[in-house]
Amino acid sequence: MLILGCVAFIAGCGSLGLWLANRIRRRPAELRECLMALALLDTEIVWGVTPLPEAFRILKERTERPWQEFFAELQERLERGESASSAWKDTIVTQNEHFCLKQQDWQVIRDVGKGLGRSDSQEQHKQLELIQHQLALIKDQAGVWSEKQAKMWSYLGFLCGIAGVLILI
Amino acid sequence: MSLHYTLSVVQAPKVMPELPKPTTSQTEGSLCGSNQSAALWADMARWFGNDICSILGNIKSVAFHEVEELRLRVGQPLLLRTADQDLFLDREGEVTSPNKAYFVKQEDFASALERMTHSSVYAAEEDLKQGFLTLPGGNRVGVTGEVIVQHGQIQTLKHISSINLRIARDILGRGLKILPLLLGADGSFAHTLLISPPRAGKTTLLRDLIRLISNGVPHLGLKGLTVGVVDERGELAGMWQGVPTYNLGYRTDVLDGCPKARGMSMLVRSMAPQVMAMDELGHADDVAALLDALRTGVRILSTAHASSLEEVRNRPILAHLLEQGVFERLIVLSREQGPGTVEGVYDLKTGRVL
Repeated sequence: MLILGCVAFIAGCGSLGLWLANRIRRRPAELRECLMALALLDTEIVWGVTPLPEAFRILKERTERPWQEFFAELQERLERGESASSAWKDTIVTQNEHFCLKQQDWQVIRDVGKGLGRSDSQEQHKQLELIQHQLALIKDQAGVWSEKQAKMWSYLGFLCGIAGVLILI
Repeated sequence: MSLHYTLSVVQAPKVMPELPKPTTSQTEGSLCGSNQSAALWADMARWFGNDICSILGNIKSVAFHEVEELRLRVGQPLLLRTADQDLFLDREGEVTSPNKAYFVKQEDFASALERMTHSSVYAAEEDLKQGFLTLPGGNRVGVTGEVIVQHGQIQTLKHISSINLRIARDILGRGLKILPLLLGADGSFAHTLLISPPRAGKTTLLRDLIRLISNGVPHLGLKGLTVGVVDERGELAGMWQGVPTYNLGYRTDVLDGCPKARGMSMLVRSMAPQVMAMDELGHADDVAALLDALRTGVRILSTAHASSLEEVRNRPILAHLLEQGVFERLIVLSREQGPGTVEGVYDLKTGRVL
């Protein structure tokens, strides 16, 4: 019975650690997805001259889960007649919890909304390009950092479990 | 047929412009009518930012169908234009004097532009270069502002300072009264020129004629004809992203945004129309292309800016067309009794008034 309890405790702590590690690993993946989406948005605006609701529909189809819902909500808001910048801001607030991104990431992503759709395509292109550069930097840093952190948490969970068991026994 | 008659059947409210406004809205202000007007105002209001949106939503004293234009100018009062009056609106949506009215701010333009383009100003760039936007539903919005020119070409329009929302009225069956006069003895459609001063319903009538000719009118013995429309300014079909907002009939092909002179020869070659329709004839190139197109046996239906036959005769390019005997019928419109008043239909071959 005792052994069973110990195993369960260690497994519990371990899976908690693994879950945390997984969340940390998802951040660079989500950043990469965001970069891809912004690049797509950029081409839609500059080459396709696609209006934003339509462009967001395309993004929705081309991206994967948390971003898919993000763009779906944006499209819906724009079709309801909301302005792009306020829709972008509000969507970040409501969709925030589905992501593993940090506050500093959101700060950069929030800038996309500033002046989105308010100027000609050249201006839009410049703005999106700037944000893509910033995000790429963040993504590179996040890649290195998250690899280390994820490894640490996946070990730490089990180790904490073992330590706890030792103390309790 | 009398010289002066109005298309009063379809334009019922405009028959009595001399009545004071409130009375008009009350006489037909049955609950249903005013509700409908409010709904239409609300529909129009969604194109504007919060301030103007709430003003338009609160309008009660002005019936929607009386308004022809809604004008915003930066730092100037909000203005509604009806057939015979300019009305200034205050914050509560009531008609007031100019200095008590709501003054339009720069921010109102930014949000209006945002809503009118679905937050995609860049997508409307081509239209903006020509000084207008087309809203879904066919309403035409004229804009002015600071023009950015590069290498002699207009690049874009910045800092929009005036917006003129012209409320499009698509009144079915309006041309039905005139159409019989435009048919020749053998029942074929005559080359027709429609002239009128601005804002007298030229484009609306042209649109209606196109639809009738394209669909055919069995009781007049007019079979549906293939109509080619060169829609240089995108006003006739009201194309919005490739989808026409006006119904131009079953047999109508629209060449959107194409210069008339080029478009005419393109259409003749590619779509073999029986009738070719276009708006605002007046440039020398147009006339040359028109004469060229006539050789293929196509019938012409066009409009031009002029308020009377005399004025047409004084305009060199139009006069040249008349001398050539291109047109067989001339329709003169005016605003005498509201937009769409038909002053007369002339048979240019015999000079008679029909």
